Amino acid sequence: MSDIKKEKKIVTFKWNDQEIQAEEGSNLLKAALDHGIEVAHYCYHPGLSVSGVCRMCMVEQIGDKAPPRPYPSCNATVSEGIHVRNDTPKVTSAVQSTLEFHLVNHPLDCTICDQAGECKLQEYYMEHGAYDSSMVDKKVHKEKVQDIGRNVMLDAERCILCSRCVRFTAEITKTHELGILNRGDHAEITAIEPLKNDYAANVVDICPVGALTSKDFRFNQRVWFLEDLETTCLGCVTGCSVKISQNHNGAFRVRPREDQEVNGYWMCDEGREIYKHLSSLGRLQFPLKNNSGLFIPTESEQFLSTLPRPMAIILSTHLTVEEYEAIFHLIPEDQVYFYRLPEEGPEFDSLLKRSDKNANRLGLEKSYYKAYNNVLNWTTKDCSLAGAKEKLNSVKSCFIVVPEFLPHFIKAKNNFENFLHSLPKECLKIALAYDDLFQGINHCDYLLPVPTFAEKDGTFFNFKEQARTLKKGIVYSQQAQSVPDYLALITKTTNNSKGFSHAAQ
Amino acid sequence: MNSNLQPNFNYVLLSHHHIPNVQEIEVYEQAEGYSAFKKSLSLTPDFIKEEVKASGLRGRGGAGFPTGIKWGFFSKDREAKKYLLCNADESEPGTFKDRFLVEKNPHLLIEGMLISAWALGTQKGYIYIRGEFYHQAKILEKAITQAYQKGYLGKNILGKDFSFDLYVHRGAGAYICGEETGMISSLEGKKGQPKLKPPFPAIKGYRGYPTMVNNVESLAAVPWIISFGAARYRQWGTEKSPGTKLFSISGDVKKAGVIEVPLGTPLKNIIEDHCGGMREAPLKAVIPGGSSAPILTAEQAYKVKMDYEDVASYGSMLGSGAIIVLDQTRSIAEILKWTLEFYHHESCGQCTPCREGTGWMEKIAKRRPSVEKTSTPEEVMDLLNRVAQNMRGQTICALAAAAAMPTQGILKAFPEEMKAYFGNLKS
Repeated sequence: MSDIKKEKKIVTFKWNDQEIQAEEGSNLLKAALDHGIEVAHYCYHPGLSVSGVCRMCMVEQIGDKAPPRPYPSCNATVSEGIHVRNDTPKVTSAVQSTLEFHLVNHPLDCTICDQAGECKLQEYYMEHGAYDSSMVDKKVHKEKVQDIGRNVMLDAERCILCSRCVRFTAEITKTHELGILNRGDHAEITAIEPLKNDYAANVVDICPVGALTSKDFRFNQRVWFLEDLETTCLGCVTGCSVKISQNHNGAFRVRPREDQEVNGYWMCDEGREIYKHLSSLGRLQFPLKNNSGLFIPTESEQFLSTLPRPMAIILSTHLTVEEYEAIFHLIPEDQVYFYRLPEEGPEFDSLLKRSDKNANRLGLEKSYYKAYNNVLNWTTKDCSLAGAKEKLNSVKSCFIVVPEFLPHFIKAKNNFENFLHSLPKECLKIALAYDDLFQGINHCDYLLPVPTFAEKDGTFFNFKEQARTLKKGIVYSQQAQSVPDYLALITKTTNNSKGFSHAAQ
Repeated sequence: MNSNLQPNFNYVLLSHHHIPNVQEIEVYEQAEGYSAFKKSLSLTPDFIKEEVKASGLRGRGGAGFPTGIKWGFFSKDREAKKYLLCNADESEPGTFKDRFLVEKNPHLLIEGMLISAWALGTQKGYIYIRGEFYHQAKILEKAITQAYQKGYLGKNILGKDFSFDLYVHRGAGAYICGEETGMISSLEGKKGQPKLKPPFPAIKGYRGYPTMVNNVESLAAVPWIISFGAARYRQWGTEKSPGTKLFSISGDVKKAGVIEVPLGTPLKNIIEDHCGGMREAPLKAVIPGGSSAPILTAEQAYKVKMDYEDVASYGSMLGSGAIIVLDQTRSIAEILKWTLEFYHHESCGQCTPCREGTGWMEKIAKRRPSVEKTSTPEEVMDLLNRVAQNMRGQTICALAAAAAMPTQGILKAFPEEMKAYFGNLKS
């Protein structure tokens, strides 16, 4: 195969006054965008086919063999030595007038539009438009509030018919729910059937205007009050690059980041839920003690020093590699157990989503081997299996790290509660949790707050053993301590380096 | 033999139209029908392509691009899957020449397509016919059945290593399906929307295969050119616009209809000699090439010669050869409104300038007195002119230009009348 494959030839071309090197035959507009040149465009998206309908990315070619008229750069390719300009009078006036056409029937309801602040119509108007409107005629009206299924709302009036969403459902999910009905200025996006694919919310991201908005996010926060935390999704073993929009009032949404190694431009709808527990009302703010079903604040240092022995710890599969290494350093192998989330859905949905929800399973196995020089044997270490459960029967106190994202996994919810229920009644159960909303909470004696994946720096390994990075963003639980920190606390209070183990005697 | 049953080869396209029942294959064969095709099978495809190129035949659909040169862009690989597509959509308002041609003499088109298919090496052909042409589609289907029976279509035609299948496909009534890539989209079963070029259909067309799209009239001229040669074809017309052309004349003349005359015939002759002059009132204006051609004033119309270059020198275009004659009783503003209504309705809605511009122009042209902001007639006309100008050259296909050109043409040719019209809106 390799000898058939044409070698990539890098050529030089000129965009305005800037020389750019790019692969011969690659997309001209993409080459410019990749080199940081700002080119107005609506319909072009690097992850979709070219439709060439918005007519904003026009360029004029300079030179003898140049075509007589400006052409859209999204439908042109890079070739050696060509020189294109988009700052000529011809092109700038064309872009301005095309922008005016885009806005002729646009309702200009920015004040109540969720897209305001990140809307390409607003941005390009400031940059290329800035004219006085000549439109005093009656605008074409279309239906404004349309629930088109999943998490997506459609405002047909705001739509500029770039067809990105139509191409997305046709080319990426291949579910073909969206189409453009009618012709001329009566053309509008129509859901032939409600959106049914698991990637529907991507159409909200790729919509350059406020036509498609997210039911989950709309009206919750103005985008200029938000900052993006660039991190990684821990929803399954794929590990997509994402950004979480947040501020001190909370986290508001998750969107994909471009990452050609893993997720391209997209992410699944399930992954978009992972922000919800970060700033939920149920977040644990301090240690709690179960007082006959009523949880009351307590001091962690006190009860941690008087725990009955022997002890064990049941770890989740969502901690970082750094945390696992620190934990394994503190605790002997025979006292470490794990809780694996059950698989959900098809093994791989052929796009991004995988059934294995234990995001850092590989990182965990790696750290385990590194610490104990022993391959992790799940049949004896996975607490949801009988072999491991038996060993826990003699344990007097048990740390349980509640899996992150538990509320998102339908199967896991009951499974985890059953697991907690199956632990010996007399065993003291200390849950290291993010919130107090998980099912089975009443089986626990203590709750200790831990940071979420967006409140700590760290690494994990996805299914392809690619190292993925977690970044620390805004902290919503001030007293939360990491799992190794709590364990170190026991070491300190018992004054023994392997205190977890030796204190049992 | 009755001379009425003999073809009159002083005409290229209407050579057989006077023969009764020439739509029947036997009658057509008796009148030397399919002889050009038989002759062409003894010629090499390259020779035919050269002959068509030498004839200077220009695409009769409206753009006037030389057919021979277009054929030159086509894949030379005879084995590769390729299509020949006949554009019989004839959607330009005012045009009805292809209908007349097909209805009376369907075999001429089939023969033209056969010769072209032999020259181009296409294995399949489609005649995409306007949906409203139901009877013409039936006539064509019957003619195709006859041609199959006689062995002109199908496998190993006339014993040669040449196979060609031909189908009729009826459109569903969209102007834009007359644009070749819009037609291909429609034929593929998609919404009739033009495709982004490049790639051009000659490289990647119907279902992704090389496709040659030619107008009915272009293809129907091929048999004559093969029979009598390119040099004789050039006896008619001008250097740059050789040959004859069908004109469909409508409007305020005594005898409207389809005529075949050499290119370069003065419009005055067409109106006065062929059409018997004006009906009642004197001439006011002529739209020379279908509704998208800018309007000519009476003065210009009496001077212009009907060939591609001369019409263009008056700022208009020959287009499809649809001559719409208007007399003094006609309101130019009404013409403008109807024209804009049409293009607004027919814009496919893909490209922003056309989608929004066609509708906006119609609204401006129909502004009511309540619209006060741009109230002076000059301002309204300036705005209309500016919007039209901004639409041109910015879109995938030429529909935007087809709407903009007549608008600008009217504003330029009849400024006083338009000023009065917009002035009246104010009061």
